[in-house]
Amino acid sequence: MRKSNIWAWIILIVGILYFFVPLVATLDFSLRAEKDVYPSFEAFRTVFSDPEFYKNFSSSLGWSVLTIICSTLLIVPTTYWVHYRLPNWRPAVEFVTLMPFVVPAVVLTFGLIRLYCCDPLPLISSPILLVAGYMVLSFPYMFRAVDTGLRAIDVRTLTEAAQSLGAGWGTVLFRVIFPNLRVAILSGVFLTFAIVIGEFTFASLLNWPAFGPYMEYLGATRAYEPAALALISFLLTWGSTMLIQYIGRGRGVETQVAGTR
Amino acid sequence: MSQNDSFLTGKMTRRDMLKLSAAAGAGAFLAACGAPAAPAKTADELLKSANTIPMATLLAEAKKEGTLTTIALPYDWANLGEIIETYKTKYSMKVNGLNPDAGSSDELEAIRTNKGNKGPTAPDVVDIGIGYTESSKKEGLFSPYKVATWDTISLKDPDGYWYAEYYGVLGFQVSKAQIKNIPADWSDLLKPEYKNQVALAGDVLKSNEAVMAVWAAGMSKTGKADQAAAEEGLKFFAELKKNGNFTPVIATSGTTAKGETPIALTWDYLGLANRDTLKGNPDVAVVVPKTGLIAGPYAGAISAYAPHPFAARLWAEHIMSDEGQLMYLKGYAHPIRYNDLVAKNKVPADLAAKLPPAESYKVAIFPTLENLTASKKYITENWRKVVLGE
Amino acid sequence: MSQTPSVKLGTGDAPLARPPSRKFSWDWLGLAPFFLFAIAFLLLPSASIVINSFKSPEGAFTFQNIIDVVARKDLRSAYQASLSISVITALGGGLFGFLLAYAVTLGGLPKRLRSYMLTFSGVASNFSGVPLAFAFIATIGNTGLITRAIEGISGVDIHQQGFTIYSIWGLSIVYMYFQFPLMVLIMAPALDGLRREWKEACENLGATSWQYWRYVALPILMPSLLGTMILLFGNAFGAYATAYAFAGSFINLVTIVIGGQIQGDVLFNPGLGNALALGMVVIMGLCMTGYSWLQRRAARWTR
Repeated sequence: MRKSNIWAWIILIVGILYFFVPLVATLDFSLRAEKDVYPSFEAFRTVFSDPEFYKNFSSSLGWSVLTIICSTLLIVPTTYWVHYRLPNWRPAVEFVTLMPFVVPAVVLTFGLIRLYCCDPLPLISSPILLVAGYMVLSFPYMFRAVDTGLRAIDVRTLTEAAQSLGAGWGTVLFRVIFPNLRVAILSGVFLTFAIVIGEFTFASLLNWPAFGPYMEYLGATRAYEPAALALISFLLTWGSTMLIQYIGRGRGVETQVAGTR
Repeated sequence: MSQNDSFLTGKMTRRDMLKLSAAAGAGAFLAACGAPAAPAKTADELLKSANTIPMATLLAEAKKEGTLTTIALPYDWANLGEIIETYKTKYSMKVNGLNPDAGSSDELEAIRTNKGNKGPTAPDVVDIGIGYTESSKKEGLFSPYKVATWDTISLKDPDGYWYAEYYGVLGFQVSKAQIKNIPADWSDLLKPEYKNQVALAGDVLKSNEAVMAVWAAGMSKTGKADQAAAEEGLKFFAELKKNGNFTPVIATSGTTAKGETPIALTWDYLGLANRDTLKGNPDVAVVVPKTGLIAGPYAGAISAYAPHPFAARLWAEHIMSDEGQLMYLKGYAHPIRYNDLVAKNKVPADLAAKLPPAESYKVAIFPTLENLTASKKYITENWRKVVLGE
Repeated sequence: MSQTPSVKLGTGDAPLARPPSRKFSWDWLGLAPFFLFAIAFLLLPSASIVINSFKSPEGAFTFQNIIDVVARKDLRSAYQASLSISVITALGGGLFGFLLAYAVTLGGLPKRLRSYMLTFSGVASNFSGVPLAFAFIATIGNTGLITRAIEGISGVDIHQQGFTIYSIWGLSIVYMYFQFPLMVLIMAPALDGLRREWKEACENLGATSWQYWRYVALPILMPSLLGTMILLFGNAFGAYATAYAFAGSFINLVTIVIGGQIQGDVLFNPGLGNALALGMVVIMGLCMTGYSWLQRRAARWTR
């Protein structure tokens, strides 16, 4: 039984204040949508009765699910292979996944659009370009999470044990490795989800229905609704993340993403 | 031989007469149905020439295309919502509206990036600040077309590459809840009572509206829309910043409602539309300054790479028609053909009453294109140096 | 008489068990999908930055852009501003973020708080752009909640006194909103990696808590700490949407200047925009190299 550290509580309270006061300020403003009526939920009512809200949010949900699936299917086998067979390639792979941090997103998005706008590979109207862009943005987080997770399990033993029992590569990957990486993958998934839901530049330049441009548009034309929307999106994203964590909890023991043994 | 002789002697027998008329009739008949009188123009030829296309042909071709892709047309900007919806219902067309939040430069960028692309991300028509027209025309981004009402448009490109659609003047949108003494002119804005309260409605480096605001402030000193006004305008804003009156927050209806930008320098029609949307929460007044009143027209143009060129031309006809121009009036913007419509008595009295009083518009200055382009360049290049002191 | 299998004798006592195998393998193919994807959607667009840095607005080859980046005073001060805000938020965010991570992992707080904090951090680390900017304007702007509260309590209007949030320091406070959570997310697992045995061993040897931290825990964590702070630096350096939503181009940052150049206007000079981006890539490349090196040192303790 650890005794509670007073300093830990103080730090936590300062942290909570810092994070919640701006949210409270936003809430306070959003409740003033009706003249002389406080609190008024008019702004929230307007947002929830706007069909565009549902259309754009569900679009972004769809994009994030697609991105998560494609990103996981690309990153996990790659990282696994690096750990199992080609550890010398790890720095190269890591460098590539860190590039979205190095290259400013403003430039990357324009570069992608200019490259694929016209012949020979006009992808600009296809959803492939959007999902590919989102996958690139998610690389640093997914790779890091999966990499840390793989370091915590003994890849070699697991693989060889499975193979000695007659498993093919598919079985090894999907029935042995993935389940052991469940928690690690989840943490990458949280971040990818949050990124895609809020992303604005790419979706707006490629003109796909998405939540980011919708928030931007509302901000330019209406006064109180954007504040309500900001809070709604924050809560929705937080709720979805907690849901993902609950679903992916695994049976019983709470394992962590780090290299604890 | 005798028939021919009669021809030579000039005297015609009745038989000759009959033959002659039969020949003439046959010739005429052949001429009428053998080859068509003038060849009907192919679609490409219609598009290449900038001439007005007859409405029937235009409608037919546009319906074949079925969709119009627009960009940067927010529904509550100068009543564009009604204009778009009318286009949809009247001509049974679909409208694919891209990025309503885009600025003029974003629209031109969209044309550039989608040059080879005929998909739904390529805009057909643009609505840009007048200052962006010349350089874009030189860059070859537009396709010329002269609408039916071409001659009555007072501000346009002579070759048909662009035409002004509507204009407003730059005024002050004042939040009455916070401002007791409403400023009447640019010089009032420098008063200490307005500390931290004056804001632009856009970023000077990107927004036409913001650049015009700076220029207008200078015009209030020089009285003319020229380079000197641009210099004075920058000096004005430098002083505004020094006094602490200028706030860098970009004014939106949200920041106005919050109280961060009680005095916003914006187009009169946007301010009036905001007044309606906010419904008194807070109470907003739109004031037109006594001096330095600049008129800011917006121009329409058709993309040279438009995937739906006929739909684009139909749109041009729509907004420049009497009906279209009057819809801008409902959005508090002055249609460019306003004087023409007034002369023809087409403007309903109640609509005219919704605009700010006509007298205040008398002193509005319409800048020339050369001055506008030069001043825009000057202001954007020197903003950082003069105003922000870098 | 049994047949002994003929066995090749090596120079040592033991026979060679099997012949040396050829080293060539097709293993690298397993990485092919990843690298193909990366080339198509990451490396090629990034390469275009380098190429386009050398283009003048008319399209000709020129060094002018690179020269401008170094020579022009306003561009140098843009880099300075970006670097200072990145350093401030990396240090501040690193410090308080670490404390927060400590509080929820080793601080003895209820276990549930940890999971709330981590999920909240996941969301908060991506809360940026217009909503974040507006939230802070609504808090400490001219008519913000805190501003009014201070005015109500002390009668002093801090904005009239000249305090303004629209500066590097003000923007730093805003940036912390996504810097703290990022630090928490990455340091919480690292703190988990501090094995209990080490703390117990220290206590057995009579060390105080302070000595444990000073001589054991912090040195082990230091590579992760520094590495993550570099990540925070990069995060702030590349931020654009929040700064722009906050005060337009009022605060002179490199990303904002790039945005103005690339998005076409009178200032339209994409070559210069790309050259500025190249400068950013160089700076970030150095940071990332440092980060990777630190990460490898950190891995020593978790193997």
